Amino acid sequence: MTKPVELPQGTLEMLILKAVSLGALHGYGILLRIQQISGERLEILQGSFYTAIYRLERRGWIRGEWGESENNRRARFYSLTAAGTRQLKAETAKWTDMAAVVAGILHKKADEI
Amino acid sequence: MSLLAAIRKLWQSIAPRTRSDVEEEFRSTLDAYQEDVICQGLSEEQARRKARIDLGQPAAQNETYRDAIGLRLFDDELGGDIRYGLRALRRNPGFTAVAVLSLALGIGATTAMFSLIYAVLLHPFPYADADRIMNPHFVKTQQPDVFQSFTLSETQLDDLRLAAPVDSVLGFTKGDLEISNDGLPEDIQGVYLTENAETFLGVRPLFGRMVEPFDAGHPVVVLNYRFWQRYFGGDPHAIGRTLEMDHAPYTIVGVMPRSFAFNDVAGVGDVYLPASLMDAVANGPAPTYLPWIKLRPHVTVATANAALEPIVREIMKIHSEASLAWHLGLQPIIVPYQQDLGRTLALLLAGVVLLLIIGCANCSILLLARGRTRRHELAIRTAIGASRWRIVRQLLVEALVISCTGAVLGVAASYWLARLPLVLSPDSFPAESVIRINAPILAFSVALALLCGILFGLAPALRLSRNDPARSLPGRQAGVVAAPARRRWSVLIAAQVALTLLLMATAGTAIRGFLRLTQMPLGYDPANVMALGISLHVDNPAEWSRIQSREARAAYIEQIREKIASVPGVSTVAVGANATPPGADVQTSFVVDRSGDVEEPQARVMLVGQRYFDALRIPLLQGRLWSTDENSRGDFIAVVNRTFATRYLSSSNALGRQLRIPALPFQNRFTASSAQSTAWRQIIGVVGDARNDGIGRPVVPAIYLPYTTLMRQYVDFFVRTQGDPLTYLHSIRAAVASVASDQQISNGASTLIEAIEHDALYSRQRLFSILFGVFSAMALGLALVGIFSVVAYSVAQRTTEFGIRLALGSSRTEILWVATRIALVSAAAGIVIGLAFDSFLGAVLTHWMQNAVAAGSLFAAAALLALSAFLACLLPARHAIRVPPAEALRHE
Repeated sequence: MTKPVELPQGTLEMLILKAVSLGALHGYGILLRIQQISGERLEILQGSFYTAIYRLERRGWIRGEWGESENNRRARFYSLTAAGTRQLKAETAKWTDMAAVVAGILHKKADEI
Repeated sequence: MSLLAAIRKLWQSIAPRTRSDVEEEFRSTLDAYQEDVICQGLSEEQARRKARIDLGQPAAQNETYRDAIGLRLFDDELGGDIRYGLRALRRNPGFTAVAVLSLALGIGATTAMFSLIYAVLLHPFPYADADRIMNPHFVKTQQPDVFQSFTLSETQLDDLRLAAPVDSVLGFTKGDLEISNDGLPEDIQGVYLTENAETFLGVRPLFGRMVEPFDAGHPVVVLNYRFWQRYFGGDPHAIGRTLEMDHAPYTIVGVMPRSFAFNDVAGVGDVYLPASLMDAVANGPAPTYLPWIKLRPHVTVATANAALEPIVREIMKIHSEASLAWHLGLQPIIVPYQQDLGRTLALLLAGVVLLLIIGCANCSILLLARGRTRRHELAIRTAIGASRWRIVRQLLVEALVISCTGAVLGVAASYWLARLPLVLSPDSFPAESVIRINAPILAFSVALALLCGILFGLAPALRLSRNDPARSLPGRQAGVVAAPARRRWSVLIAAQVALTLLLMATAGTAIRGFLRLTQMPLGYDPANVMALGISLHVDNPAEWSRIQSREARAAYIEQIREKIASVPGVSTVAVGANATPPGADVQTSFVVDRSGDVEEPQARVMLVGQRYFDALRIPLLQGRLWSTDENSRGDFIAVVNRTFATRYLSSSNALGRQLRIPALPFQNRFTASSAQSTAWRQIIGVVGDARNDGIGRPVVPAIYLPYTTLMRQYVDFFVRTQGDPLTYLHSIRAAVASVASDQQISNGASTLIEAIEHDALYSRQRLFSILFGVFSAMALGLALVGIFSVVAYSVAQRTTEFGIRLALGSSRTEILWVATRIALVSAAAGIVIGLAFDSFLGAVLTHWMQNAVAAGSLFAAAALLALSAFLACLLPARHAIRVPPAEALRHE
């Protein structure tokens, strides 16, 4: 098993947006999908998970609706709103930029400076 | 309900998801997780446990939700402040009681006054578009305060309805009716309304319906709420039943709501009937009605006056030379009340606002004083990181908790307080104003509570939050450091004392004015006299024919008079028509012989029996009164009052002069006048002045004539008895019934003392003196409590200081002076400021209350205030000198 990765602050919300962008999901489904995409390497703090969902819904980036889950249980399904789509795009761009910059700095060798 | 819906909507935008919604979602996640764990091979119980350990409890989820969407500030922090505030108040019951009561008094009184103003001035009438309803008069162009109402016949009303500025016209007239169902006959007042009443008034009946156009000619009746309560015991099944009046059956078709008391012009009706029934009753000339005109929207009174003047003249066919001295004046129906009441209520409102400010000042003082004991706590909070805003917020929330508690008590009290003026001065308020606590009034009191809370809470909060923990924390020194908040106290105490003096001076003025009024010579003796009226039965043809002639009617009245006089305990009985003192009435023009100098002399004509002067103890100054024979003849003689004699005759030779009253016979079909009623009359006597134009106004010239000279269908008996006249009412009723079994005494049997109490000026002055007396007593109480608590707190705080002073050899007098100095000086400053203000107030009061401020009552108030302030300082300060120095030094 690969080593679990701890999530930097603020990134959980971005991951939730990504997970939901692939199709409407209920809360537990989002949790499973993030773990699945990450290859089971992300350990999500359960307590902060729903806080993030509520906050996203409050900001109008995702929208929750009650429906039937795959095993016929009532569940609340979240889907991305238009504002959420824009937000995800912006966040992705920001993250990629930042990662590139940070990685660039970290990979510099002494002679390159 | 719209308010609730609005609150719900607001709440939804704050917290879109409900508690159960959040919990259900979380449970479904828990279940899904649990199933997965079971799949991994755990038992159901273990899976349940693991799910809850990993994800949390469903019950706690709601908190996570509220935290996430930012509701915690509301819920926990402000809620915490409120809970903490409540707990702090519970811990200090004495402080709490005083603070809450100070505000409850002020807020209660202010809310009461506001609801009174709302009910009386803003929404006094229940009618639709009441602001467009006008009461038309003819106004004398030279003297705008002299006006005369007029009546119109049915066809004239129809003509008026066609006029351009007129939306609709209601005609109404009153009629005396007698219930003849069974058992006791009872006189009631009927008001006949033209059949458009329902649309014109637009008041929804409580049950059934109002008079409608299709009622024309049908014997239907609509009941007034109070009559319905009294006569039918509030039975909702009264609709459809039959009410027999004047031996004719009427079907009850509706009951009006309590707020409907139509109307102040014709008198409040017990029952309302279609106007067309008037024609059926009367067989004389066509009946006429008082009109109310509803103007079209956006038509001003001035435009309407100008447009209607020629139309009304044309309709009424008045084109005479004399009529040009008069012009048409439409008066919005609220105006008579606004003129008198607006002033009264403004003055009372000023009084309660002062009271409220004094209450707020009191709370500020208390908070500041108490704040010194809390300095330690606040310092600790600051030291461990509370921001200044956080502390101000907490102190403000505590202040708001106090003010809101006060407001709740105050609003509850205002429900009764608002009725007080109506009870004390019932005749000066519209009969239809109903005082109730409604949404605008609640909103007003909530706003008031918040305003007060911030007003009195902000200064102490800012003061106490400016606190250097390094200085305050070492608590042992607190006893000897100088109190920095003192200046603020002194300002507040001075302000409070000054305002209290203002209120006390106003109360003193009002009370003096009222006392002066009660001590004014009346010119007659009202004690043990009552006036009772009877209506002759004009509507019963058989009875009417018996008493229609003047002689028969006079004989009938004399017969009743003799029967009443024969009741044991009754000493004098006199007859009079419209002569109940001290009431005002119209004056009539007359002519005096040998005089052309006085322009259009006017006097009040009083129709009385010769015993009137004896019954009321009005002294005969000159000449003689008329005899029984002269009384039954009615003509050729007159008696005048002293004012008449001095104004219109040279008083030395008043006797033997002649006067004539050409305008005397205001005939209607029920009037009977003597043969020579408008001929010359010789003045045979001069009597003393008795109040006849209201209690506070000068006596107007009066001519007394034998009542037989002009008889209408209504007559009063003035009965002087031994002891309380009302106790004889039963035997007097029996005496009247022995003359004619169905002759009733009208509802208006009342003593002459009551007549004085109903006088507008009298009841207004009484209202002022009682209410301002109460206000100033409350204000005085509040100010004293303020001074007392300041001194008490500071003495408690400075025990150590006093101990040191005593140990160092201060005398007890010095200690007392030190302890009370600031409070005493500020109270004295307050009194001085108050006195300065009062000299300014004098001008205002003279204008508003028609009373000058008397220096005597002002200084009495100041002295009383100074004495009580001195006592309020001294009582708590005694503790300072009682402290044994050794103990004081060990204190804390």
